[in-house]
Amino acid sequence: MDGELDARAAEGTLEALLHDPQALEAWRTYHLIGDALRDTPVLSTGFAGRIADRIDAEPTVLAPRRLPPRAARPVRWPAAAAAALAGVALVGYVAFNTAPESGVAPAAPLAQAPVAPPAAASRPTLIPLPRSTPDYLLAHQGFSPRVSLQGMAPYVRTVSDEASGARR
Amino acid sequence: MRLARALVVATAMAAGTAVADTSDALQWLRKIQDATQKMSYTGTFVYQHGGRTETSRITRLADPSGDIEKLEVMDGAPREIVRTRGTVRCYLPDSQVVKVDRASAERGFPSLLPERVTNLAQHYEISLGEIRRIAGYDCRAVVLAPRDQLRYGYRLYADVDTGMLLKAVTIDPAGAEVEKFTFTHLQIGNVTPAMVKPRDISAAWRIEDAAAAPARLPGWRMSADLPGFRKVVELKRRLGESRPAGQMVYSDGLAAVSVFIEPLDNGAEVRTGLASMGAIHIYTREVANHIVTVVGEAPAISVQRIADGVEYRPEQ
Repeated sequence: MDGELDARAAEGTLEALLHDPQALEAWRTYHLIGDALRDTPVLSTGFAGRIADRIDAEPTVLAPRRLPPRAARPVRWPAAAAAALAGVALVGYVAFNTAPESGVAPAAPLAQAPVAPPAAASRPTLIPLPRSTPDYLLAHQGFSPRVSLQGMAPYVRTVSDEASGARR
Repeated sequence: MRLARALVVATAMAAGTAVADTSDALQWLRKIQDATQKMSYTGTFVYQHGGRTETSRITRLADPSGDIEKLEVMDGAPREIVRTRGTVRCYLPDSQVVKVDRASAERGFPSLLPERVTNLAQHYEISLGEIRRIAGYDCRAVVLAPRDQLRYGYRLYADVDTGMLLKAVTIDPAGAEVEKFTFTHLQIGNVTPAMVKPRDISAAWRIEDAAAAPARLPGWRMSADLPGFRKVVELKRRLGESRPAGQMVYSDGLAAVSVFIEPLDNGAEVRTGLASMGAIHIYTREVANHIVTVVGEAPAISVQRIADGVEYRPEQ
């Protein structure tokens, strides 16, 4: 939101926000703290909705390249796009900040926020631990620098009930 | 005027404190490392992850003729792992198998070198935390907060006197504890060779030797690097009963991620996707008729990104 993360890190963060209620809560809290520090006035009720309506009214700006180039409005669309982007950001922002009033609500606006561009890594299928997990862990552990801080303790994962459980 | 000077002094002092804090924390990491590698001790620790708790005993004998370290699982089958300077042996009584992993002649098991500790500050914000009593020892907290979402954070607690690590907590980007190692009892010194002796095994036991050796894996490469993670080794080895495999290891100096590449066994069913256990994520996918399995103590996104970056381009 403030450009501190590079694109990929931001992608990860937004992905986390989508799926992790704790991350979402942390996000809300930080923004609340930020707002309190900056004395940001509270937005009027329905602000998010009005922004959303205006974005709905301008659907094409989300894919500006498909607009036929028209001489009459060459200057207008970048501004509109910027406004729309700001709007989308605000929708996300406001949705986060107003969420406590409606338990399930954030999911919908979040899904429309530009958090999951097609370029993002696909959501992985969750599978049980592979059968050879102990072999992989034993082979991997030998190269973990952590062993030099912690001695052999991390090796316990190699023989952990859970790692070998897949074989039973 | 006097106020202005006081302000300048105060600001300078504050800046000085921040720097001193980091360098003190780095000093603490070196102290922990030193203790881990030089002391003799025996103790019981619990390994907690995802609601599970497993208790183990760890004993280390520092000896001029070669240090020996032994880990014994206290619950269930008495599995044990014994590490000498160049070899790790894993004894699994329920299947009567000894798995052997040797450090190669060219290089020992890599360790976090004291001069590299400073480099950790590129990826982690390192600071000192509170003093807390653990298993009877007053411990200092050393906090490693990751600078991005690609690695976990750590909270380490080390004995104020000796630097011995009594507790290590791994923290995910949302602030949740994903894994925890805690000593419940620790005795420093008074370790005898009998205490680190491996168990006797009969001729019925099968020995699985990894036979790992550094080697280039022709054609295999990463299409994109994961920020902060560098390739530290590339080798050929055997896995399990003797499946040939390639292994590439990437590390940021503290966290490590391994890429395993195995030829696809015709007819064998491969489950692709993500699995996890505590701080470990395992991501499996198929690339060029091979199974690529990425294993790492890193958030799922890092493991998946490394896996997605693996590609095969036949060399001319």
